[in-house]
Amino acid sequence: MKKLNLAAIASLVIFVISPLTYSINAFAADKETVNTVATLRDHTPIESQKEPNPIPKVMNKDIKQGRNYPMQPPVIPHTTRSYEVNKNNNKCLSCHSRHRTEKSQAPMISVTHYMDRDGNFLADVSPRRYFCNQCHVTQVDAKPLVENTFVDMHTLMSVKIVTDEHH
Amino acid sequence: MSINRREFIKANAIAAAAAVAGVSVPAVASNLITSSDITKLKWDKAPCRFCGTGCSVNVGVMDGKVVATHGDIKSPVNKGLNCVKGYFLSKIMYGKDRLTQPLLRMSNGKYDKQGEFTPISWEQAFDVMAEKAKETLKKSGPEAVGMFGSGQWTVQEGYAAVKLMKAGFRTNNIDPNARHCMASAVGGFMRTFGIDEPMGCYDDLEAADAFVLWGSNMAEMHPILWTRLTDRRLSAQHVRVAVLSTYEHRSFDLADNGMIFTPQTDLAILNFIANYIIETDRVNKDFVSKHTNFRLGTTDIGYGLRPENPLEVNAKNNGKNAGDSTPIDFDEYAKFVSTYTVEYASKLSGVPEHKLIELAEMYADPKVKVTSFWTMGFNQHTRGVWANNLVYNIHLLTGKISTPGNSPFSLTGQPSACGTAREVGTFSHRLPADMVVTNPKHRDTAEKIWGVPAGTVPPKPGYHAVLQNRMLKDGKLNFYWVQCNNNMQAGANINEEIYPGYRNPKNFIVVSDPYPTVTAQAADLILPTAMWVEKEGVYGNAERRTQAWYQMVEAPQGAQSDLWQLVEFSKRFKVEDVWPEELIAKQPDLRGKTLYDVLYKDSSVGKFPLSEIPEDRLNDDARDFGFYIQKGLFEEYASFGRGHAHDLAPYDRYHNERGLRWPVVNGVETKWRFKEGSDPYAKPGSDWDFYGHKDGRARIFALPYEPAAESPDEEYDLWLSTGRVLEHWHSGSMTQRVPELYKAIPDALVYMHPDDAKVRGLRRGDLVKLVSRRGEVQTRVETRGRNKPPIGLVFMPWFDASRLVNKITLDATDPLSKQTDYKKCAIKIVKV
Amino acid sequence: MKKIFLIGWRTLTKPSGYYSLGALVIGGFIAGIIFWGGFNTALEVTNTEAFCISCHEMENNVYEELKTTIHFTNRSGVRATCPDCHVPHKWTDKIARKMQASKEVWGTIFGTINTREKFLVHRKRLAQNEWDRLKANDSLECRNCHNFDYMDFTEQSERAAYQHSTALAAGEKTCIDCHKGIAHHLPDMKGVEGW
Repeated sequence: MKKLNLAAIASLVIFVISPLTYSINAFAADKETVNTVATLRDHTPIESQKEPNPIPKVMNKDIKQGRNYPMQPPVIPHTTRSYEVNKNNNKCLSCHSRHRTEKSQAPMISVTHYMDRDGNFLADVSPRRYFCNQCHVTQVDAKPLVENTFVDMHTLMSVKIVTDEHH
Repeated sequence: MSINRREFIKANAIAAAAAVAGVSVPAVASNLITSSDITKLKWDKAPCRFCGTGCSVNVGVMDGKVVATHGDIKSPVNKGLNCVKGYFLSKIMYGKDRLTQPLLRMSNGKYDKQGEFTPISWEQAFDVMAEKAKETLKKSGPEAVGMFGSGQWTVQEGYAAVKLMKAGFRTNNIDPNARHCMASAVGGFMRTFGIDEPMGCYDDLEAADAFVLWGSNMAEMHPILWTRLTDRRLSAQHVRVAVLSTYEHRSFDLADNGMIFTPQTDLAILNFIANYIIETDRVNKDFVSKHTNFRLGTTDIGYGLRPENPLEVNAKNNGKNAGDSTPIDFDEYAKFVSTYTVEYASKLSGVPEHKLIELAEMYADPKVKVTSFWTMGFNQHTRGVWANNLVYNIHLLTGKISTPGNSPFSLTGQPSACGTAREVGTFSHRLPADMVVTNPKHRDTAEKIWGVPAGTVPPKPGYHAVLQNRMLKDGKLNFYWVQCNNNMQAGANINEEIYPGYRNPKNFIVVSDPYPTVTAQAADLILPTAMWVEKEGVYGNAERRTQAWYQMVEAPQGAQSDLWQLVEFSKRFKVEDVWPEELIAKQPDLRGKTLYDVLYKDSSVGKFPLSEIPEDRLNDDARDFGFYIQKGLFEEYASFGRGHAHDLAPYDRYHNERGLRWPVVNGVETKWRFKEGSDPYAKPGSDWDFYGHKDGRARIFALPYEPAAESPDEEYDLWLSTGRVLEHWHSGSMTQRVPELYKAIPDALVYMHPDDAKVRGLRRGDLVKLVSRRGEVQTRVETRGRNKPPIGLVFMPWFDASRLVNKITLDATDPLSKQTDYKKCAIKIVKV
Repeated sequence: MKKIFLIGWRTLTKPSGYYSLGALVIGGFIAGIIFWGGFNTALEVTNTEAFCISCHEMENNVYEELKTTIHFTNRSGVRATCPDCHVPHKWTDKIARKMQASKEVWGTIFGTINTREKFLVHRKRLAQNEWDRLKANDSLECRNCHNFDYMDFTEQSERAAYQHSTALAAGEKTCIDCHKGIAHHLPDMKGVEGW
């Protein structure tokens, strides 16, 4: 019984302290990134160098990533090694062009890609959009060196609705 | 609907409470928000923050935050497109490590060069800075004060800086990082045409029959121009593309004639083409006789290294005469290039003869409209000015210039390399509108416009970028302010020159930046800086297009624009602190005034009231100073060029246009310069008028092939070229903080040929040391990436702050342009 | 000297009354092994990558392109050499292919594709030959290593697993239908099915 009490007290103490330590940790993390130097160098002095990390792998899970805003070009969720996009052929279009998506079940390239410079729709993909890799990039399995605090407009709108309803 | 701060906190608190309680907030339960009050975004236009293409983007703002960006459909440059970097502009300002407080190296509460960075107030920061600047001025004079600026400064910032340095502190030691980027192009323009910047424009992209890329990887570095070139090549079947480089890259994907040449031999190829045009009798004799003359240039001009370097000791003409030339006639020129046969060019360059002839034929064929593009392959070259001169030669011999599709076109790397660095003249030898400090008339013009006494602007050119680092190291430049660039990562030979220079105990180094860069890490004082649409400004792109934008969001609390920093700092100096008595005596009314009064508030800069700023617009800088400072600076600067073939439109018009290409005469922009009918400055009846030179003629230069400063030998057996990648812009200080761009290409690897790896016992992913005579850097091997170097050459990009390739590069420069050659040095690669 | 030659000649031309039938058969068998072995050894020499890339047309074009692909360097180091994909393993097919290949030797001797440009001009036809061959034999050379029965779909990416478990499993598609250009650059793909 006594032991049980002790355990209960201990767990309570931990329960109370844990958010505290969490916030202290968060503060410490902030202290490491905000108003400090050499964040991209992991605080390594200029005269020396941290050992380069191994080459990370390209993510190949075919899981669509959310977009930061509607106009953002989607990132590529699969590897593109040896995919040729050149004068001779465009490997990407062999799955993503309009007449291939039924077979491939890949997302069709956006309708904007059929527009020429003056906004006219063409019968096929506009040559100005030919090199897919100018806007669409693969992603490697690596953690960004610095966090980005960009806020999605959807988050901002949600906040406004809540505010409205509590007026 | 606007949301005030109290409501915002309240809303956040409710959302947080709801989340903790595990209940869903009713409003987000609905999966579509339709109320236009809530979904409305405030859209505005701005030029892209990155390269010199000058795309226009639309920026969407909600509740004081940038939440979206996309290509501006109305912009003639990009017509709705962006590259991957441009599409992620929304996130560049939101890296978590944005600086919000000045940081000073301190121990025991006082400045200490060896101390730790400690947050201080702006007041304290300016106190220390002013004290250090005054101490330096007193002890060593204006020549010990210097500034390193940027082609990313707004036009107004560059102009404010030039005024502060050249008229205020009376030093010409101001240079932009554009020295690393565009100086050879400027040198080429001035030497051949007597006036800076391209004669053509981007409309050439839709008009040309052939494109030649000389040391330019447009597919990655100017992606939007590449979309236009691709559009043209693929939609018009007769169009051909030739690509020349020292390694294979993405632009080769569209090449009809791809050529890999041995570094430095582009000079020989250029001369061969000229020779081919002459030998096959395709010189446009009418054009050449009316509009050009011929010069023989000085040779053996050295490599811009320190004078004690054996290469400089042995060079015959590396002094002031390096840029000299003497008149010759066509026959002498033809004889000069006659040694550059196809056999010789092919042997030297390693490019097969038939490919060289195919290339030469593009230029020689009078029916083919040809546009040449070049960037760092030509400019970052110890004979960069020559390379620029030589490509103009070809276009001039054939008369393929200044008409749609016929265009020798120098591209720029920075958003305002043209607008700020070149047009404003933030170089150590320049003044606005192509004027130079060495010319007494030019100094006089500047002093009159600035309202300062005659003799204020010093006549001797100051230290250029590379010399600044050497002078810092030698202890001759002691107060140094770096704005809007990252030279500890971007400059060559960090190990031997730049780092020892910044850390020299005699020097006080100030670095202004939004983020803690490698340069900031080497500073003594770091100033947190506002960026891009957190301020109002103007940029000028590679086709002479001037574009303006309004401030759209507030900078993070504590960060201030470069402009505010410069102007606010000027309040700390009275004319008596910086000018000698005899100078003040010439204009006694200035006595007792601050530099702020003289240079900004009481000059023509201060004449536009705040009421001219639209009420719904943010403009923190102007409202802080009490006048529309951006307009004042722009209009005063524009007065230098109006009527001198550099005409700019009235400031307000730029807020309503997607940019205009100067000269803007009678409200109309100019597409092709030097051509009667399209350039209002071309004299009637002239047909072509190269009015930059007094005789109205462009110059064709006889210049030879000369070897590189450093080539591979037995020990250092590989060429090293550095450069950029598509996803990161320059040193990556913005793009490495965007997670999607970081994850696209996080690390700078060394790209090498699989056979080169094999003979060294290396494989992809191996940890290696790149070693030069100057230092070493570690990275990992890439044998199958986007860049495919030939055997004997490796490529490593410089965007990666954790792997500083410039620790090993050579600080050799073009002796004429003073621009560093980042494309050629000798290294070896060793397994770690 | 002359005598010895004559004796030998007579022995060869005389009907066999001297050697036993068994000796003859065994001798013939041994000789057969030697000749056959010699032929096959020679054949095998021509069946190595080193032989293939001894012609610069092969070394500078297709082999150079192979170097950066997954069939050259990969996780487990199992490498495909030229004959693995381009020479059938079955003997009769192999001989047929070798006879075809004599045309390549002809090409080398007469310089049909002795520059990169000439090679690129012929590339579509050359590639089409290989695609046709692989299409006809149900991608036999692919399947020599990539055996459908032993594919673990859970180890494949979702897309690959879907295609392999449906189109490939049903025999609607064969490897080469989708996996063109995996080891060498592609020619102009205009008119090629699936592009």
